[in-house]
Amino acid sequence: MNCEQAKTQMLGENQGDDFAAHLASCDMCRSEASRIGALWQSLDLLPLDEPGGQVRERFYEMLGAYRQGMASAEPRKTRQLGQWGWQIAAAAALIAVGLALGYVVRGNGQPPAEVSQLREEVANMRQLVALSLMQQQSASERLKGVSWSYQVEPSDTEVLNALVTTVNHDPNVNVRLAAVDALRPFTGSPATHLAARNAVVQALPKETAPIVQVALIDFLAELKERNAAPELRRLVSDPDIDSGVRKRAEWALERMQ
Amino acid sequence: MAEVSAGQVARLAVLFERYHRGLFRYFVSMNRDREQAEDLVQEVFFRMLRYRTSYDPAHSFTAWMYQIARNAGVDQVRKRGMAQVVDIDSFALVSGSPGPEESVSRGQDLALLRRAMGQLPEDKREILVLSRFQGMKHEDIAEVLGCEVGTVKVRVYRAIRALEQIYFSLEKEKVS
Repeated sequence: MNCEQAKTQMLGENQGDDFAAHLASCDMCRSEASRIGALWQSLDLLPLDEPGGQVRERFYEMLGAYRQGMASAEPRKTRQLGQWGWQIAAAAALIAVGLALGYVVRGNGQPPAEVSQLREEVANMRQLVALSLMQQQSASERLKGVSWSYQVEPSDTEVLNALVTTVNHDPNVNVRLAAVDALRPFTGSPATHLAARNAVVQALPKETAPIVQVALIDFLAELKERNAAPELRRLVSDPDIDSGVRKRAEWALERMQ
Repeated sequence: MAEVSAGQVARLAVLFERYHRGLFRYFVSMNRDREQAEDLVQEVFFRMLRYRTSYDPAHSFTAWMYQIARNAGVDQVRKRGMAQVVDIDSFALVSGSPGPEESVSRGQDLALLRRAMGQLPEDKREILVLSRFQGMKHEDIAEVLGCEVGTVKVRVYRAIRALEQIYFSLEKEKVS
């Protein structure tokens, strides 16, 4: 063993007799091995950081939602398998062709087909978790579902529809409030912006909680959504409406002009 | 992981309990951001669940997991549209102020050692973190990095030598 070979063994797992023999005969390598060995050992003395408790909480929440989502998806899959068997086979064949083409044309700067497919699967999984959580009995779970909706593509109409349902029908004010905020990304996507804007317009007359009404009004003002003007005028002239909501509606109408 | 891959997804909890701290420390070591490291740990387990069928029991689980972790880290950087910026003066695997054991121990000044780690180029820091802090075998590191075992040995050696040089230059600065 020469010095070059010995250097790569200095921090090795199985150094062997050759290495020991080399060290015995080479002062320079012996000195270096001792020096970097000490440095190597001292790395152990750097104390270790600990993750926060919410890491564990978030993991189990994700795992639970995943299992629940898979369980609810299973019967539907079984039922549809026979009916859609040929379509699944055709899709599999298309994927195989796509992968083959991906290999052929690789090098054009595009990600390989399988990478795109995996990305799509991740997107589907996020959608599944968000939708599953938004259907839970517990308000805190539904709130988490609303939070997960930020991780889906803003063009995802299924998640948008779930958020709209939450805004209109969730019995918990906090969940509705969070869902109003979660609609914002959808107003920036060409595929969903109209549906998202309409949803906010239509939610305002149904809403009774002042805090959510104000959130909806702010959102409409931000969007400069003129279709909401009649409802805003109604709120301004309604003597029974909360004074804070009335003032906000006045402000929104001014802003839209 | 083989059980998770076969459909027993609840068994992922066992892997989480065993590996989430190591993953967290890997990410903290690489990007110095606790919050981001926690998000990335979550992302790794999410991807493990999602891509569970791609796991091959004939290969090392640790290597597979750290391949996912590296990809998640790269995606995060790409998503943020910038290179990771490491605060070179704050590298540590520890939070809070340095304890008395960090002053001088075994002839090494641990505060300087932390700074030296922070100043190491990312690829060298990564290989030290994987081999020393994560205790991974060279074979597994080779699989993660996509290189030969011999290359890993050379890179580990170069990384520790680079660390030594930075450490001594910091030590000289301190004395002068």
